[in-house]
Amino acid sequence: MLLNKEKWPEFVEKLIGKNLWAPKLEGEAMRFALVAEGEEVSLEYGNTRVPPKGTAFPQTETMYRFQLGNTDMQEPKLEEERILLGVRPCDARAMAIIEKLFRWDYDDPYFLKRREMLTLVGLACNDPGLNCFCPSVGGAPDSAEGLDLLMYDLGDSFLMESVTTKGEALLAETKELLTDSDADAVKTKEKLFADAGAKIKRTVDHIGIPEGLPGLWEDPLWRRVSASCIGCATCTYLCPTCHCFDIQDEVEGFEARRCRMWDSCMFEEYTLHTSGHNTRPTRRERTRNRINHKYSYYVDKFDVIACVGCGRCINLCPVNIDIVEILRQVKEELQ
Amino acid sequence: MSENYEPNIVAFLCNWCSYAGADLAGTSRVQYPANIQVIRVMCSGRVNPLYVMNALQQGADGVLVSGCHPGDCHYMEGNFYARRRLGMLKDLMEFVGVDPRRFHMSWVSASEGNKWKEVVEKTVEDAREAGPFEGFRRRQIDW
Amino acid sequence: MDLEQLRKTAAEVVARDDVKYLIGWKKGSYGSRVAPAFVEDAASVIELIFSPSCTANLATYLTLVEKTPLPRGQETDKRKVALMAKGCDSRAVVQLLVEKGIHREDVIVIGCPCPGMIDQSLLAGKYGDTEERSEVRWNGKDFTLVRGGDEIEIPRNDVLAEKCRLCRHPNPVISDYLIGEAVKEWDPAEDSGVGELEAKDVDGRGDYWEGQFSRCVRCYSCRNVCPLCYCQDCILDRLNPTWINRAVNFSENTAFNISRAFHLAGRCIECGECERVCPANIPLGKINRKMAREVREKYGFEPGLDPDAEPFQASFKPDDPEDFIL
Repeated sequence: MLLNKEKWPEFVEKLIGKNLWAPKLEGEAMRFALVAEGEEVSLEYGNTRVPPKGTAFPQTETMYRFQLGNTDMQEPKLEEERILLGVRPCDARAMAIIEKLFRWDYDDPYFLKRREMLTLVGLACNDPGLNCFCPSVGGAPDSAEGLDLLMYDLGDSFLMESVTTKGEALLAETKELLTDSDADAVKTKEKLFADAGAKIKRTVDHIGIPEGLPGLWEDPLWRRVSASCIGCATCTYLCPTCHCFDIQDEVEGFEARRCRMWDSCMFEEYTLHTSGHNTRPTRRERTRNRINHKYSYYVDKFDVIACVGCGRCINLCPVNIDIVEILRQVKEELQ
Repeated sequence: MSENYEPNIVAFLCNWCSYAGADLAGTSRVQYPANIQVIRVMCSGRVNPLYVMNALQQGADGVLVSGCHPGDCHYMEGNFYARRRLGMLKDLMEFVGVDPRRFHMSWVSASEGNKWKEVVEKTVEDAREAGPFEGFRRRQIDW
Repeated sequence: MDLEQLRKTAAEVVARDDVKYLIGWKKGSYGSRVAPAFVEDAASVIELIFSPSCTANLATYLTLVEKTPLPRGQETDKRKVALMAKGCDSRAVVQLLVEKGIHREDVIVIGCPCPGMIDQSLLAGKYGDTEERSEVRWNGKDFTLVRGGDEIEIPRNDVLAEKCRLCRHPNPVISDYLIGEAVKEWDPAEDSGVGELEAKDVDGRGDYWEGQFSRCVRCYSCRNVCPLCYCQDCILDRLNPTWINRAVNFSENTAFNISRAFHLAGRCIECGECERVCPANIPLGKINRKMAREVREKYGFEPGLDPDAEPFQASFKPDDPEDFIL
């Protein structure tokens, strides 16, 4: 289906009542936020600063509340359905990738319920960012994986392709704004996104890396690449596929809540035992774990690389630690 | 702000002067507002700025720190450190948007029951004017 | 900056038996980025650079090395660490000496007088960014961007980092080796960011910071990158007692940011790293500079200048201001 850009405000208006979230400028960076009545949505952005994973896996979520000395628990009501507009294909793919973990040994009710209530409306990338490398890790600027509906910007109109029944339903609801697509539009789309793919300069050659990484366990490479790491969580908190969490109890007077919040393997206390022993005592082990987790353990368990090539960790690392560069060095060591 | 709003003040008093001063006010039957919750510490220099922040976070509308007069500290110089640190804290809190009327510091000696009354009155009055603390209170935010 | 002299000095230093490594800058992986370099042998000094992109403060690495338990009979590596330091970095070193976070005999400071650094985000915003490596150079008064064979003249004030506009100490305050000539100090600009906030009333400031702190993701990059945040056991990682909850909301974020800023009051040497690395673009520098100014004006103290000074918060003067006391 085609949506003329003149009809775009109307299209957005239709969705606004349905808990619509879209990228919004906050400070200098884009972030997903609730769109209020009468607000304009602009899709002119590269990638949001914080990935939309938080809509299904919030940074802090209350699992239940309780009172001290009382075994009753109150579970909070989960949020209602929401629509995310303008999700980049890499972020949507990441949602599909972490879903595998949350469905692994048992079904995680929190993530899955939230995920079920999300409708992801994607926006294919015409102009991928500087440090994007999605094609190298199985994605594409127009990948539809994980999305319900994908929009392609064709200049003066959007080509809409539904991926799931949720997407179809959304198209059905906005039927009167849409026109049928023609062969020309499809052709334009194919050309545009082949071009977009060609704009991506950074590449990762991951052939052999998942199998080879365990063999490099004690390689001097890890000390070299981690020497400048300052041990902050920028790379992991802003990673769309990082999914580690910690569970803590917070007590206020006699009331308490158990909540789960994002955690990062780059923090020192992540693997700190009560005894004082730390199984990953230095940044060398922590960096090694980050790369291994993404490019080896995850592949081993779920048969997919837990990196979607969005480039956030490269763009935002305070000390220019570059995952593409690390993987290049890994590859070099393997040969 | 509701008509019958009563501010909740947390006061950190040093064991040797201010606590004794408050005690004297009590034994001398000096009347002062009952909005004060006293926490006795050994020295005003022992008051970690985190205590002040945490009190505000957990529901205080105002915080008072009181110690011996400069030069009278039981530990010689504890209150001098407190003066420097908490003075900085006051500036910092004011800069990030905490009303300066919510945080006070005073010197009250063991013989100053009446001064204690004045200090409490001033603190409570200021907190009353500033209204209920709604800044970064923990329970108001998605708890 | 004379790169020849820098590399010659560096080679001389790392060749010494009592030097573990030299911390400096090398070319980064893309655009005009630079990355910290850890040079262990004289052969690798060739990668060292000093350019307007070297905004980062490397003094943070002096205290970042983890002290893991050693096998019985093995001794700790007591060799010195050499460090390339600009004006602000050298002040961090001095402040670390004041606090005895490091010892003078453990560090060799290679002073690099600094004509002013660029802000990468300003540069990328105004002149674009490339995946291909480029280079920024000083050309006397302004900067030159060398990219793909083109040379682009960039007016100094277009891309100069904020900390450099406000800088009062561009020359290293201590050094064992000084590379090149000391630069001429410039008049620091007026701190309009702090001034604007001070002009607001207290509620206006509260609203401003609420908007800022709500965005914080608590990645702690500001803490970790800070050369003066080096506690072995940070209050933020403590669980018992939990002073500041791990939960991310406005309340805890504010508590975190206030305690971070307070811990740096009278210690912050205004290198602007916290603000540079913040992925949420929170202007942390404003709080730090405000506190630094209060300390300077009210208490007449400026951290990071005199290695023999007493730490600000662990000392007092009998006549400290007490106009705020009831």
